[in-house]
Amino acid sequence: MVRIGIDVGGTFTDLVAFAEETGETALIKVPSTPSDPAQGVVDAVRRFVRGPGQTWKVFTSAASLIHASTIGTNLLLGQKGLRIPKGALVTTEGFRDVLEIARQRRPDLYDLFFQRPRPLVERRYRYTVRERMDANGAVVVPLDEEGLRRIAERMREERIETVAVCFLHSYANPAHEMAAKRILQEFLPGTPVVVSSEVNPEYREYERASTTVINALLIPVVSSYLQELQGRIQGEGLSCPVYVMQSNGGLATVESACRLPAATIESGPAAGVVASAYLGRVLGIPSILSFDMGGTTAKAGAIVGGMPQVVTEYEVGGRVHSGRIVKGSGYPVRFPFIDLAEVSAGGGTIAWLDPAGGLRCGPLSAGAVPGPACYNLGGEDPTVTDANLLLGRINPEGLVGGEMPISPSLAEEALRRKIADPLGLDLVQAASGILQIVNTQMVRALRLVSLERGYDPRSMVLMAFGGAGPMHAAFLAEELGIPEVIVPTAPGLFSALGLVVSDFKHDYVQSVMRLFAEVDLEALEQVFLRLEREAVQQLRKEGLPETQILLQRQLDLRYLGQSYEITVNAPRPMGKQDLDFVIESFHTRHREIYGYAAEREPVEVVNARLTAIGVVEKPALAGAGSRASDPPGEAQVGDRPVYFEGYGWQPTPVYWRPFLSPYGALEGPAIVEQYDATTVIPPGWTATLDEAGNLRLRRK
Amino acid sequence: MEADPVTVEVIRNALTFAAEEMGVALRNSAYSHNIKERMDHSCALFDAGGRLIAQAEHIPVHLGSLPWGVRNVLTYLKREGIHLEDGDVIMLNDPHLAGTHLNDITLVTPVFAGGRLIGYSANKAHHVDVGGRAPGSITGDASELFQEGVVIPPVKLLHRGELSHDVLTILCSNVRAPDITMGDLRAQIAANNLGARRMVELAGRYGIEVLEASWEEMIAHSERLARQDLKRLPDGIYRAEDCLEDTGIREEPAWIRVSIVVDQGRVHIDFAGTDPQVEAPLNAVFGVTLSAVYFAIKCILDPSIPMNEGVLRAVTVTAPEGTLVNPRRPAPVAGGNLETSQRIADVLFRALAQAVPDRIPAASNGSMNNVMAGGYDPVRKRSWVYYETIGGGSGGRPGQDGVDGIHCNMTNTLNTPIEAMEQYYPVRFERYEFRPNTGGRGRWRGGCGIERSWTLLAPSAKVSILTERTKVPPWGLAGGEPGGLGEHWVRRKDGRWERLPGKGTFTLTEGDTLVIRTPGGGGYGDPAERDPALIERDRANGLVSP
Repeated sequence: MVRIGIDVGGTFTDLVAFAEETGETALIKVPSTPSDPAQGVVDAVRRFVRGPGQTWKVFTSAASLIHASTIGTNLLLGQKGLRIPKGALVTTEGFRDVLEIARQRRPDLYDLFFQRPRPLVERRYRYTVRERMDANGAVVVPLDEEGLRRIAERMREERIETVAVCFLHSYANPAHEMAAKRILQEFLPGTPVVVSSEVNPEYREYERASTTVINALLIPVVSSYLQELQGRIQGEGLSCPVYVMQSNGGLATVESACRLPAATIESGPAAGVVASAYLGRVLGIPSILSFDMGGTTAKAGAIVGGMPQVVTEYEVGGRVHSGRIVKGSGYPVRFPFIDLAEVSAGGGTIAWLDPAGGLRCGPLSAGAVPGPACYNLGGEDPTVTDANLLLGRINPEGLVGGEMPISPSLAEEALRRKIADPLGLDLVQAASGILQIVNTQMVRALRLVSLERGYDPRSMVLMAFGGAGPMHAAFLAEELGIPEVIVPTAPGLFSALGLVVSDFKHDYVQSVMRLFAEVDLEALEQVFLRLEREAVQQLRKEGLPETQILLQRQLDLRYLGQSYEITVNAPRPMGKQDLDFVIESFHTRHREIYGYAAEREPVEVVNARLTAIGVVEKPALAGAGSRASDPPGEAQVGDRPVYFEGYGWQPTPVYWRPFLSPYGALEGPAIVEQYDATTVIPPGWTATLDEAGNLRLRRK
Repeated sequence: MEADPVTVEVIRNALTFAAEEMGVALRNSAYSHNIKERMDHSCALFDAGGRLIAQAEHIPVHLGSLPWGVRNVLTYLKREGIHLEDGDVIMLNDPHLAGTHLNDITLVTPVFAGGRLIGYSANKAHHVDVGGRAPGSITGDASELFQEGVVIPPVKLLHRGELSHDVLTILCSNVRAPDITMGDLRAQIAANNLGARRMVELAGRYGIEVLEASWEEMIAHSERLARQDLKRLPDGIYRAEDCLEDTGIREEPAWIRVSIVVDQGRVHIDFAGTDPQVEAPLNAVFGVTLSAVYFAIKCILDPSIPMNEGVLRAVTVTAPEGTLVNPRRPAPVAGGNLETSQRIADVLFRALAQAVPDRIPAASNGSMNNVMAGGYDPVRKRSWVYYETIGGGSGGRPGQDGVDGIHCNMTNTLNTPIEAMEQYYPVRFERYEFRPNTGGRGRWRGGCGIERSWTLLAPSAKVSILTERTKVPPWGLAGGEPGGLGEHWVRRKDGRWERLPGKGTFTLTEGDTLVIRTPGGGGYGDPAERDPALIERDRANGLVSP
């Protein structure tokens, strides 16, 4: 069977196909088509189906296609050609502007011309109705059904296309929201009506309202997109089930994605972390830092106990500042997202001098066009790639195994003119300096997902991929005290492979809000059982037998008075004897993250969470991306001087990765080249090829 | 020893990240809503001479006051002959030294590497209550500092890593929610430790000499950039005045006057002519005044200039002692960094608008709209106290309308979710919405204010409000009209409405509703020139009456 993953990115749409029977892989890159994203997908599928490769034809009848897209983000960011549906919000009387006031904070402290993100539902379409619950879910003011009917009439006149409902404290008692849903559906047949207690029954009204509104707005867009896409793919002669990658790194059916599109909003970047987790499982490595460095950015993620780490909230379209999203700069969505820290550090990142002679790197990138100066496509600014080239780390003959010629002299000229001469540095100092600066930024990203979350990078393995990842990985590992770096077989398409090795995954949450000591175990068990029934039902609907369903219960806990929670695992079922275990793991986790625990203070249970995984059989990734057809040859293909900070220029052997054998170790300094990446093994490191073809770098 | 530009940049990045990391650690592990949800805290790193080398501030009022405070602490310790050792942590909140008000507790941790003092890791966080006469400690009518809470001079909270129980016991016996105070202090200690650890790591990697040389160059570099950028201001003397409308105790306004002298990129700011200090909690200690100055300057500077001592050096500031903007002890100061700091920023912008008219908006709502409440909650069987600030309209700007209902200028704290408030406090919210017709008219209108109101569910509570712009509206600019005034009410249980003054302490009983209506922002440009499509949009959205 063939698994096909399609990732629609900002610039390129990538198709990766993996034949389980032969281990063969194919990668197709076509330009993305943001105003009609399906077109890029169709283009890729067409090239795959009609392109060369007899073996593929045999398998495509029995294929599955996994899709990751950024259509949600693009829609909210106002992408041309995508129309935001006319949505309405119904909320508790007196609270019409909660959605727009947001957290009352401006996203930039010192910008007098700041803009708040445009409200997703304009004030005129935010309706309020008399009703009120208190924090315990008791009715204070009954729902004014008559008033709601009048609102529904107005919505009909206004031709509202989708409706969100968010009442105060509905997480504690959804009765009013459910009643409102019934009434609205009656008056507006065929119009999606999304209520907050179904989408995200968690406290904090603004974030819940935002999540609900985004879900409501995405439903018409995502469902018509996916339905159209399925049809057009079939039209290309590929008839296979389509699945959607979610932001939590798991799959969902098209049906589920159409119901909860907010859960799929940023799925592309998650794939690399999923691939790392999968390869780690195959290799028996549970703790991994996933590091993906491409042309414009570097992304870091963490895998602990074999599980990609997730955060429970994200701001779509938010501005990133040194790795993290600036609060208030985007639209909050409370669904689990793979925890990613992103910094502007890629091969195309530009080094520049500020007016007072300070050397800076990024955030501007030369991108693919004009690209680094050495590409000879008109780029005049020195980039990270130019610096790597001048220090001997990149083959001066050209990239992609020599297929794409590059010009060291252009790199040299750019670096000399823009950086070295004005600073009075020689070329080597300038180039090495640029690398040190971007490395500091990438170390920051790796720290964010590890140390800042209470995980020690020294006990983790760095999985490095993306076009530029393997070139920088060992230096970052050195800085963080990470003992081992793994460079998978095909670093350039590793991230896309994550699409074809992911499981089904759904997350559920219910606010509890009780003191831990006062928790009624029976009631809590009922909450979990309800979530589990919902989860199992969903996964069964998606075609998974019960034997392949894994359920993980979790609790969000905090010390009473805190307002940020820590998620810990909870046993299933949870008996009295388990309470100590749960509370102990909370104290431990608190200590890991914040350096202390307050054992004597009361603990509060905020949410019950359930993660349900539907395990699918995975292809054996071993050997994915290797070109089996290449005749074997001598692995060492040359040598050249390479510059290493602290060692100076070192004569360095250069190896061709497809020819490396799994026997014997390479001593650093060494360079390993392959079609889509270059691995740098610095002095003090050794590298071996494991049985599966992964390059394993270890610190001596 | 000189540091090469590469090392300087690497170290600068690492320090900035470290300060941000401290901020996250502090926020994550703190107890009070003020820090966790509202992010009313700042972290910074200093060299051994007390010069600022990196700062992560979440609200601008800490921008200049934290560096000023650390310098004062060092002078104080030297004068008192207090010697710092590895593992010590200095705690203080004395506003005349620490630079804001008593609620802000500052911790300063000396950082040692190789047995040598190399710098300081410091942070400041707003504690919900530090004692004094009213819950939340901030009142509208204190007449001396001692009514605003316990005054802590620089003392060792930790000595060689050991917590001083004597100091803690005194503090905890003087505050209304000692558990929360303790939780927040612990988080502050941990944050400083993290910053210190990062500095020690850098010293280990680069050596102390290189580190110090890098700091030297970082500061010089920022100063060069700031001075260069300030040359864009045309030479001249720009004068402006604005006032606090009353002091809560006296009816008459208190004036703040400034002259900004620009000469070839050299900027001197002088507050001569400002009214004398007042017997009301509105005096802004000099640290607050500095914060407002650095805030205004940062708003017109190139945002990519790294913030450190170099930027601070580019501007000189003088303020006569004994005035509203540089009071003498024991003047009460709780509202100085709340209300007065906003007005200082207004005055500065009003002056700068003469120099660079196309880069300055009309006045923003100009108040932090502070509300403190507390009492005993018989249902939850505990005392409660909470503090919040409420946003208003921002001023209209050349080319864009102001923003509705948001925090402006010197503050930028998050609101506390209503669903969180109602879980913890005996209150039920009635309204949290924009106030139509409060944005000042103009070609670019000001933003609307906010109405936020709640009903008390406990037998009684004390409420203090500290607000401004209920009599003197935020000014318009370039022909724009002023923003709408703030107005505050109590609706008694029996339906009577009582208008509240802008500042004061009141008693609510069960069923009473507190209604806070915050000011709008001033308009920019002639209202007659407003695009009819924008007027129509505002009408459709119910923000302007037809």
